[in-house]
Amino acid sequence: MMKFNAVSFGILLVLFAVVTVVGFAAARWRRTENVLHLHEWGLGGRSFGTFVTWFLLGGDLYTAYTFIAVPALVFGAGAAGFFALSYTIMVFPIVFVFAPRLWSVARVHGYVTPADFVRGRYGSRGLALAVAFTGVLATMPYIALQLVGIEAVLTVLHIGTGSSNAFVKDLPLIIAFLALAAYTFVSGLRAPALIAFVKDALIYLMVIVAIIYIPIRLGGWGHIFSVANTHLTATNPKTGKPNGSLVVLPAGEWAYATLALGSALALFMYPHAITGVFAARRRNVIRRNMAILPAYSLVLGLVALLGYMALAAPGVAATVKANGANPQLSVPLLFQSMFPSWFTGIGFAAIVIGALVPAAIMSIAAANLFTRNVFVEFFKPDATPALQTRVSQFVSLLVKAGALVFVLALSPSFSINLQLLGGIWILQTFPAIVAGLYTRWFHRWALVIGWAAAMVFGTIAAYRVPSPGKPGTHFGGSADTVPLIGHTVYIAISAFVINLVISVVLTLVFRAFRLPAGTDETLPEHYTADPEPAAAEPVPVIAGATETG
Amino acid sequence: MAHPGPERRRTSAWILASILLLIAVAGTLVVPIYARSTPALGSFPFFYWYQLIWVPVVAVLSGIAYLLTRPAKSAPGSGGRSAAGGAGDAR
Repeated sequence: MMKFNAVSFGILLVLFAVVTVVGFAAARWRRTENVLHLHEWGLGGRSFGTFVTWFLLGGDLYTAYTFIAVPALVFGAGAAGFFALSYTIMVFPIVFVFAPRLWSVARVHGYVTPADFVRGRYGSRGLALAVAFTGVLATMPYIALQLVGIEAVLTVLHIGTGSSNAFVKDLPLIIAFLALAAYTFVSGLRAPALIAFVKDALIYLMVIVAIIYIPIRLGGWGHIFSVANTHLTATNPKTGKPNGSLVVLPAGEWAYATLALGSALALFMYPHAITGVFAARRRNVIRRNMAILPAYSLVLGLVALLGYMALAAPGVAATVKANGANPQLSVPLLFQSMFPSWFTGIGFAAIVIGALVPAAIMSIAAANLFTRNVFVEFFKPDATPALQTRVSQFVSLLVKAGALVFVLALSPSFSINLQLLGGIWILQTFPAIVAGLYTRWFHRWALVIGWAAAMVFGTIAAYRVPSPGKPGTHFGGSADTVPLIGHTVYIAISAFVINLVISVVLTLVFRAFRLPAGTDETLPEHYTADPEPAAAEPVPVIAGATETG
Repeated sequence: MAHPGPERRRTSAWILASILLLIAVAGTLVVPIYARSTPALGSFPFFYWYQLIWVPVVAVLSGIAYLLTRPAKSAPGSGGRSAAGGAGDAR
């Protein structure tokens, strides 16, 4: 079943080449004179309207997570994997509330990153550093997930993976990676924004065909659900328990709800998602998008069902088992066994490009964070915009290299854990950022200590979770039993609660002792402002540097 | 433009929008509502079609919330911008 197919590979290669050309050409798209400015490279000149923003945010949010990781979890564990649908249903109403305030204050003060905002709001370099560090750290496993997705396609295509030479084995992944790194370097955010059109066209085509064509070939949805149920209720010899279930069991309800809620709260804390928000031209663009982005949720829900189709397709489950029981292979194998070679190539291209675009956006956002909030803040306060852009370009390469480390260091049975691990970390910046949009009540040092405690707790708790059926392994899952309530809960949520409690208690203490609260450079009306986009905004190099403070 | 009490209208619009958004989040957050296989819709167990139905519902709820909370009318494209802080009411 796993053998090299020249037609599939050829089509994948052609589409990949097209995207690479578009990526480089994007440098010229909507270009302005001030090219070497971080607002240009990192935010596309803050010029994107409803339409481009929709594609950009969609390109951000629906990634290899959607096409590989979620179906893999559904394939292996059944209903539990559907928390992802619930997550993408909840996320937009939540973001609807606070994102416009964040956009407005960022526009007024020229903030490029979430840490810029935290620094301006709380007058705290330490808190801004915490936010920046978390953003860069949490982005790496998320990019790693994209690489795992690309790797799954290449494995099924049998490219390189048959070789015993380690270099040849990883060569295709490295080539894809270098192309991504090169056009991101040259074109900045314009590259993924422009490629997102190609990507989404391919993905919608792939999904519509897969959802209609595969069930017909497999003998209907009733058959798919019934075969899936048989697979899921069978006992796993490793754990001695059923593989999963077709409907969430009462014992899994807390985990399901908290995984969905935690992921939804965490998503727009990621620097790349905030970048997509900041790049919008007007305030209205964001709320309007929250009403039309659920189109992507529908795609995610339908794609998740591919996991069941893979269980029902003859031979797929056996091939997955024969290849190290790697459930990430289930969707690529399903395509290969159901589609003619040429359409398999299109489907594979959709997955690969759907992983490259977000990887580009994520690395740009993480690089901006480092440059603005670490490099300029602590090392070179007088860096010119051109130097800042140059540093960001190189850091975007480093971030991708860091992601490779996560791929190699953690090889979990379910790649979704990479994203969930990032979620545990990034959610801990929520109190500083979102509470800060509404109130200055929290004390900056209380937020720092709450964040630190939650980061340590979350990391240790995640480290201690073994892979199912493999005691003694680490980072094998993202949910753990909470002692007092006795339910299994997403670690991000339990850490978040610890974070909030500490922040509230210490704020009360610090306020009682009248510890200095730091200066706030923002004014209430900045949070609702909607300035017209100006051709050449006089933007301070460092937020606040030109203010009187 | 002669509506009485624009401030109060905006507040009530926000309350209504918040309720809609809360419903949108709660719909799939409360798992016991839909952790069952019946009633099935076609071959789809309840668990699946219930959540898929929520996608367009949430889009509609968010759309209504958007219309409710849209900033006060200003001629689109004209120079007169609705500067939220500056245009205090003249009373």
